[in-house]
Amino acid sequence: MQILSKSKIKDALNQLSQNAELFIPLARGEESGFYPWNSYQEGSDRLMLDALNVLLPPKSVVFPQTERMYSFTGNGTAVEIKETFESPQPRIIFGLRGCDAAAIACFDDVFLTMGFVDSFYQARRDNTTIVAHACYQPGDNCFCEAMGINPTEPVNADVIIRDAGDAYIWESKTDKGEKLSAALGSLLENKEAKAPGLQPFKQKANYEGVAEKLKDMFEDPMWEELASTCQTCGICTYVCPSCYCFDIQVKSWGDEGYRFRCYDSCMYSEYTLMAGGHNPRSHEQERFRNRFLHKLQFFSERYGKPLCTGCGRCIVACPVGINIVQIINQVKEADTSVRA
Amino acid sequence: MTDITLKIREIATRLLQNGQVDIFMGWEKGQEEYTTRPFFARRVEDVDKLIFNEYSIHNLSNDLLKYRDGQEKIGIVVKGCDSRGIVRLLQDGQIKRERLYIIGVACPGMKDPLQAVKDNSGFFPAATSTELAKKCGDCIEPNPVIYDELIGDKQTPRVGEERFKQVKDIENMSDDQRYQFFEDVFSRCIRCYACRQVCVACNCRTCIFDEMKPQWVGRETSISDNFMYHLVRASHMAGRCIECGECERVCPVNIPLMLINQKLIKDVNKFFGPYEAGMVYIEGAKPPLSSYQENDPDNFL
Repeated sequence: MQILSKSKIKDALNQLSQNAELFIPLARGEESGFYPWNSYQEGSDRLMLDALNVLLPPKSVVFPQTERMYSFTGNGTAVEIKETFESPQPRIIFGLRGCDAAAIACFDDVFLTMGFVDSFYQARRDNTTIVAHACYQPGDNCFCEAMGINPTEPVNADVIIRDAGDAYIWESKTDKGEKLSAALGSLLENKEAKAPGLQPFKQKANYEGVAEKLKDMFEDPMWEELASTCQTCGICTYVCPSCYCFDIQVKSWGDEGYRFRCYDSCMYSEYTLMAGGHNPRSHEQERFRNRFLHKLQFFSERYGKPLCTGCGRCIVACPVGINIVQIINQVKEADTSVRA
Repeated sequence: MTDITLKIREIATRLLQNGQVDIFMGWEKGQEEYTTRPFFARRVEDVDKLIFNEYSIHNLSNDLLKYRDGQEKIGIVVKGCDSRGIVRLLQDGQIKRERLYIIGVACPGMKDPLQAVKDNSGFFPAATSTELAKKCGDCIEPNPVIYDELIGDKQTPRVGEERFKQVKDIENMSDDQRYQFFEDVFSRCIRCYACRQVCVACNCRTCIFDEMKPQWVGRETSISDNFMYHLVRASHMAGRCIECGECERVCPVNIPLMLINQKLIKDVNKFFGPYEAGMVYIEGAKPPLSSYQENDPDNFL
């Protein structure tokens, strides 16, 4: 088998970033997220490859928070598109966990299937190589397994790396992965190494049958109580690796301008505000319910899997301690027969 | 703290039982010993869930805004800073005093459950902190300023000798240094609006940042739109921030929002003071910057 010695990791990252923009988990000052390797500052930044994960997910590599789409000039009533900003340059996400790789698989479903292809997403996605980091030691808030994910065999990976003490086992899975192996050349060694066993999860979510059960729980009084302390900020949606809602807006001056898209959040009241002024989800409770139904029911109905990959980021960052595991279990255990 | 919990439960039971309140706002225990979180009891059976411990840090006064259009009577537990939030809401005409039954707790200083969860998340370099929350170190009033019942022994303010030390450090920077400082901190904003949502002074029914016609502030996470967001947010805080520190506490990218708020507190005090927001409720009194006179100076326009 091929291994990459941890003592050579920086050489490897330097090598891989020659031909692609390489994103890597870092702790940077007060932040924790995926950043370009070429912005790494020795001393102040900290490589988080061997940490459980980072707070800001890698989704921004394939789906940036703000992405310019096209620029235009107006001439009377005619509009001319000047430039489109599809972004096909090669990128590598190095060291993302199975939960985050599975979240990108959810994006693939949304942006590339069901008869519609989002060309901006496709340009980025087709040119992104994923080096996923198999996970053996679940954290305090992890529950990916309960959402149908095997953390030791990340989906969507072009390469899987496995922590074997002082080296990573390097398993190339696709042609894209082979290209990275070739680029690393002699930095990869042929040696035997052993990956650890998967440790038990502390969080116990029981998602089985929950999507089906939720169909009859739209009006359940549970939502009012659960939502009562929610601040309806956007933290959970923005730190979520699988939340993909966006808005398309414009900036213009005189006869020219550009359109861009930016993350939107179903927690904001403006999200569902219609042109005529009506808002079908004007109350916090309706927005809260929608977020969980989208994650746990609607997405599953359309794509056959939940839109939650169990990374635990929303549990960590919620200002009032709202916990999706507890909500899943509450739905599972709810006795709906007495409520009708 | 167990005594305080028991006392709170006793009061909540009484109020819910005799119908004096419809909702009782306090805290409950989360999954971990450090994950205390807000909890609103509606029935006597809920009362046993209520707790008060060193992680009861959330300023619940902000949650009153959810009920501002209703008729419910509300019992609410407040610490010193939270009680100033209630004064803020009363001064802003957001809720009527007679709808509230306020239980004040003299606050010994809190730990931050959010920080504890983050420390244990594996998402940050290990830095387990058992110290008081940062915001509690800047506290100028741990004792409730408005209440119907008071629990606990009087506490002394924890703010150090130099209250505005960090503000002064920033003031002493050169223009370029200062610009660089703010560019660095604002560039990491993800525009989740958590700072606005947890703020009791942010009680506008339609926020300027949500207005679309016209759209005053762009939605790009660019340095210019982020600057605009933070400058507008900050200037709306002048004379209004009650220093509960919730904005800075909940920020997922740790923007030093209280540093900005403290600059405004310092300036409002200098130009219109002596004044501390939300320290006392006098019906009909107008705090600085919340009244208008025809002869107000406007030569800067």
